[in-house]
Amino acid sequence: MEQIRTKKHVFSKLFPFFKPYLVPLISGFILIFFAAVFTAAAPITEGLITTQLTSDAKNIIDNVPGAGVNFEYITYVLFILAGLYIASAACSYAYNFCLTNAIQNAMFDLRNAIEKKLQKLPVSYFDRHAYGDILSRITNDVDALSNALQQSLPQIINAMFVIIFAYTMMFTIHVWMALIALILIPGTFFLARFIIKKSQRLFQAQQDALGNLNGTVQEKYTGFSEIKLYGKQQESIAEFKSANQKVCEHGFKAQFISGLMSPLIAFMTYLIIGSIAVFGAINAINGVMTVGNLQAFIRYIWQIFQPLSQVTQLSSTIQSSVAAATRVAQILNEEDMIEHQTSESLKHAKGNVAFEQVSFGYSPDKVFIHDLTFSAASGQTVAIVGPTGAGKTTIINLLLRFYDVVGGSIKIDGVDIRDVPRSELRSNFGMVLQDTWLFHGTIYDNIKYGKDDATEQEIIEAAKIANVHDFILSLPDGYQTFINEEGTNVSQGEKQLITIARAVLADPSILILDEATSSIDTRLEKKLQKAMQNIMVGRTSFVIAHRLSTIRNADLILVMKDGRIAEKGTHEELLNQKGIYETLYNSQFAEETSVN
Amino acid sequence: MKLMFKYIMKNKLLMTFNIIGLFCFALVELGIPTVVSKIIDDGIAKQDIAYVWWMGLIILVLALAGGAGTVLLCYASSKISTNAARDMRNDIFSKSQTFSHAEYDKFGISSMIIRTTNDVFQLQQFINLVLRTALLTPLMIVASISMTLYTSTSLSMVVGIAIPIMLVAIIVMAAFVKPISERQQMYLDRLNQVSRENLTGVRVIRAFRKEEFEINRFYESNKNFTKETKKIFKLMSLSQPSFVFLLNFAVLGVFIVSSNLISTGSLEVGQMVAFMDYQFHTMFSFMLFALVFSLYPRARVSAGRITELLQEEPSIHNEAVDTEIHSDKAGTLEFDHVSFTYQHTKKPILHDITFSAKRGETVAIIGSTGCGKSTLIQLIPRFYDVTEGSIKIDGVDVRNYDLDTLRNKIGFIPQKTILFSGTIADNMRFGKHDANEEELVQAAKVAQAYDFIMDKPDQFDEMVYEGGTNMSGGQKQRMSIARAVIRNPEIYIFDDSFSALDFKTDAALRAQLKEITTNSIVLIVAQRISSIMDANKIIVLDNGEVVGYGSHAELIQTCPVYLEIAESQLTKEELEKWSK
Repeated sequence: MEQIRTKKHVFSKLFPFFKPYLVPLISGFILIFFAAVFTAAAPITEGLITTQLTSDAKNIIDNVPGAGVNFEYITYVLFILAGLYIASAACSYAYNFCLTNAIQNAMFDLRNAIEKKLQKLPVSYFDRHAYGDILSRITNDVDALSNALQQSLPQIINAMFVIIFAYTMMFTIHVWMALIALILIPGTFFLARFIIKKSQRLFQAQQDALGNLNGTVQEKYTGFSEIKLYGKQQESIAEFKSANQKVCEHGFKAQFISGLMSPLIAFMTYLIIGSIAVFGAINAINGVMTVGNLQAFIRYIWQIFQPLSQVTQLSSTIQSSVAAATRVAQILNEEDMIEHQTSESLKHAKGNVAFEQVSFGYSPDKVFIHDLTFSAASGQTVAIVGPTGAGKTTIINLLLRFYDVVGGSIKIDGVDIRDVPRSELRSNFGMVLQDTWLFHGTIYDNIKYGKDDATEQEIIEAAKIANVHDFILSLPDGYQTFINEEGTNVSQGEKQLITIARAVLADPSILILDEATSSIDTRLEKKLQKAMQNIMVGRTSFVIAHRLSTIRNADLILVMKDGRIAEKGTHEELLNQKGIYETLYNSQFAEETSVN
Repeated sequence: MKLMFKYIMKNKLLMTFNIIGLFCFALVELGIPTVVSKIIDDGIAKQDIAYVWWMGLIILVLALAGGAGTVLLCYASSKISTNAARDMRNDIFSKSQTFSHAEYDKFGISSMIIRTTNDVFQLQQFINLVLRTALLTPLMIVASISMTLYTSTSLSMVVGIAIPIMLVAIIVMAAFVKPISERQQMYLDRLNQVSRENLTGVRVIRAFRKEEFEINRFYESNKNFTKETKKIFKLMSLSQPSFVFLLNFAVLGVFIVSSNLISTGSLEVGQMVAFMDYQFHTMFSFMLFALVFSLYPRARVSAGRITELLQEEPSIHNEAVDTEIHSDKAGTLEFDHVSFTYQHTKKPILHDITFSAKRGETVAIIGSTGCGKSTLIQLIPRFYDVTEGSIKIDGVDVRNYDLDTLRNKIGFIPQKTILFSGTIADNMRFGKHDANEEELVQAAKVAQAYDFIMDKPDQFDEMVYEGGTNMSGGQKQRMSIARAVIRNPEIYIFDDSFSALDFKTDAALRAQLKEITTNSIVLIVAQRISSIMDANKIIVLDNGEVVGYGSHAELIQTCPVYLEIAESQLTKEELEKWSK
C-alpha cells in the first residue's frame, strides 16, 4: 500500500471524513466571507460620519449661516453602521456554528473510524508499535487536529479575508497610500519566516533540555530510596540544577525569540501609520482626500495588524497539526488483517488439536519456530515449559491466529484453522493471561464479557467455579463493584480469578492458560490453583506453566528451546530421559514443591 | 498568586525593565492616536504642513520608543518567567531531597514528577502572559481613562457604561463554560481510557470476539465527548463576536454623543477620532485581561500543588545526639518493643516487635503478603520512624545517629532494583564513591556480576540506560547486590532480593556472601522457606505481630503459622525430616 508521506496523501486520506459535511463547511466559509465584508465596510462608513462632522464643524467655526450638524444624514449613516455591526456579528456567530458542527462531526467520525481500524488491524501491528505511540496517535493527535481545525482554520480564513478586504478598501481610498501600507505584508512574511526558522531550532533545543530534565526527575524520584541509603542527596541536587539551568537557558531563548514577532510587526505597523498620517494629512490639506477617509484608512491598518500577528503566531500550531494529521492518516492507511475466503466450518469443536510441521517467523527473513509437530486429544492438558524467548507465547499466538503459520498447518478436529473465519475459530477458545486485562466497569460486566447473553445465575455460577464468588460478596458493592483503572481495590490474584470466571462463562472447548510467575500470597495461590483445576476439566488446555503441580499433571509436556520442541512427553518420561527437562526441573523447581 | 509573586520578585531589576517596557508600550499605543488627532485638528484644519511633518517625526520617535520598549518587555518577561520556573524547580527538588518515605508515599512519585515538571511549566507560561499583557491592562486603563477624561468627560460616560457590561458578560460566560468544560474533560478521560484498554487488551478482545462490543463502547464515549465539545466551542465562539459587537456599539454611542457635542462646538473632530482609538485600546486590553483571568484558575491549581509540596515538613529529621558507641554493644542490632503505624492509617502495621542480632548472625523474616515484613526492615535505615519502642544499632538508638553515618552502616538490597543512568562502574560507586578498580572487581565477583559485566562490550564502562532497560532483571539484581557489597556494611538487609536469579547463580551468590558476611549482621526477608531454613533465627510475622521466633527446627514444632507455610511449600518427606 502507498506510504503516507506527502501532504497530498494526508489530505486524500482525511478528506472523506469532511465530505458528508461539505454543506455546513462551505456555508461556514461563505459566512466568514460576509463577516469580513461587513467588517471591512464599517470603517469607511464611520469615515462618512467623520467627514460630515468635519465639514459641519468647519462651517460652524466659519460662522456659515444656517451651519449646524447635519443630524439627519448622520442618523441615516448611523443606522447603516448599526446594520453592518449586527450583520457582521450575526455572520460570525453563524459561521462558528456551522464550522463547529461540521468539524466536530467529522472528528467524531474520524475517531470512530480509527477505533474500527484498530479492531481490524492484525495483532502484529500492536506488537510492532510501542503502545504509547499508538495511544498518542488516537488521543493526542486527533485532539491536536480537532483543535487546530476548530480554532485556527476559521481564524486564518477570517484573517485572510479581513486583510484582503481591508487592502481593497485602502486601494479604493488612495492607491499610493495603500501601496505604502502594503509593505506590511512582505515585511511580516520575511520577518515571520526568519523568526520561525530561528525559533524552531530553539524550541527543539528547549524540548530536548526538558526531556532531559524529565528523565532526571523521573530517575531521582523513583530512586529516592537508593539516594537516601547511599547519602547522595547533594549530588542529585547538583545534577538536577545543571539540567534545570539548561532548560532555563534554552527556554528563555525560545520564548524571547518567538515572542519578538508580535512587537516587531507592531513596530512596522507604527511606522506605517506614522507615514500614512503625514502623507494623508498633506493630501487632506491639498484637498485630495477627506478627513473621514484618512481616519478610515488608519483604522484599516489597525484592522490588519491583529489578524496579521495572529496568523504568524498560528503558523507553529499549523505545522504541528499537519504532523498530527500525518500520523493519524498513517494509522488509517495500515493494512487490515487479511481474511481469506473460507470453506470450512468449526462451530462446536471437540478440541482435538494438531500442529503439523509448523514453522513461523515474526519477520519473513527470520524463521523462529521450526518444524513443530505435536497433537493433543480432546480434554487433554498440554504444559508448555522453557526459558523466556523459547517460543511459548508464539504457540498461543498461532493457535488463536493472532499470527498465521508460515509453513505446515494447525488443525482442530482435522480442519486447518486457516480455512475457518477467525471469529468462528476463536469462539472455541477461552483465555486466561498473566497480565489480567479487565476493563473499567463492574465485576459483573467483566465476567459477562465471556458471554453476552449470560443470566445472573450463570455469572454467579461461573464465579463459584472460579473460586471468586465469596471474595466478590465480601466487597461492599458485591458484583456491582467497579474495577478502577489501577485495580487497587482488587489484588492481582483476585483479578486473575475474575478472568478465570470470564473464561468459564464462555464455556470454550479449548483453553489457554498463562500462569503467573510472580509469587503471590500462599493462600490466594491455593485458591488460584483450585480454580485452574476446576476450569480445565473436560477441555483441551494449553498451559504456559510455571507451577510444578500443573506440569506434573499434564498429559503432555512440551519443553521448548529456541523455537523448537526440545523434548516432549509426560513428567516421568522426561525425568527418565535425563535431558533438558531434568536439568530445568532441578534448577527451577527443586525448591518449589507442589501442594499435592 | 503569592507563590508566583515571591518568585517573580526575585528578579527586581528585570521587573523594573518589564515595567519600563510596558510603559513604553502603553505610551505608543495611546500616543499615536493622540498625535494623529493633533494632525487632523491642528495640521489639516490649519493647513500647516510643517506642523504635520513635526508630528510625523514625533510618531517616528514614539514608534522607536515603543519598539524598543516592547523588545525590552519581551526580554524581561521571558527572562523573569524562565528564571522563576528554574528557581521553583530547584526549590522543589531540593525540598524533595529532604523528604522521607512518608512524604513520598503521601504525594506519590508520579504526582511529584508532574509537580516538578508540568505544574511549573504551566506557571512559567502563566507568568509570562501576566507580565506581557495582564500588567498592561491597569496601566492602559489608568492612562486611557485620564486621556478620555481629558478629551471629554461626557464621552467617557460611554466607555464607563460599556466596561461594566463587558465585565458582566465575561463573568457570565465563565460561569457557563466551567461546568461544560469539566464535563468535556471527564468524557475525554473516559474516551482515552477506552482507547487505552483497547490497546492493552487487544488479545483478550480478539480471543473473546468482542470487537463489535468495543466499537460500541468507544462510540458511546465518543458521542458524549463530541456533544460537550460542540457545546463548549459554540459557547466560546460567542465571546469574540460579542466582544466586537459591544465595542462597535460603543463606537455608535461615541458618534451620537460627539455629534451633539460638535454641534455645540465643545468638541473637535480630531478629538473624537482620538477618543475612538483610546476606547479601542482600553477595551482591547480589557479583553486580554479577561483572557489571562480565564487562565488563572488553572494556574492556581498548579500553584497550589507546588505550594503544598514546598510547605510539607519532612517527618524525619537529622538530629544526631549521641553517636558514641557502647563498646560492649558493638556489632549488635536490637528491636525493643517496636510498634509502627503509617500516618494515614489507624491500624498498626507492626506491633510490639522485639528481637536482637549480633555480628555474624543471619536473621530471616517470613510471613504472608502484607504481614509487615518489608515495613519492619525499612525502619532500620530510618525510611520511617518507629511509633513506639526503639531500634538500636551498637546500643545507640537509630534516631540519635547522624543519618549519613547510620545509613553508611547498612547495605540495603530492595525488592525492586533501581539503577541510575551512567556506567556500570558509576552505579557501583554509588555504594562507595572512591572505590578503586580492585574493589569494583571484588564486589562484582561476590555478586556474581563479574562475568556478565566482562561480556559487555565496554565492561565496567558500559552505559546503563535510564531505568536499566538494557539489563535483565537478574543482572540488575546482581548489580544492586554488588553496589551494597562494595560498601562493606555492618548490616546487610535483603528484601526478597534473589527472586530474579536462577538456582545456580543464587547458590553461588549465597556461598560467596556467607564468606564476606562473617563480620556483619544479615537480615533476609523471604517468601520461600527453603531459602531461609539455615538462618540462625527466623521471625514469623502475622498481621504485624511476631508469632514465632527461633530456628527452623524449633518453629516447625511450635509455630502453627510457620507450619502452614511450610506445608504449602515443602514435600512430605522434607517436612517429616524436620518434624522429628
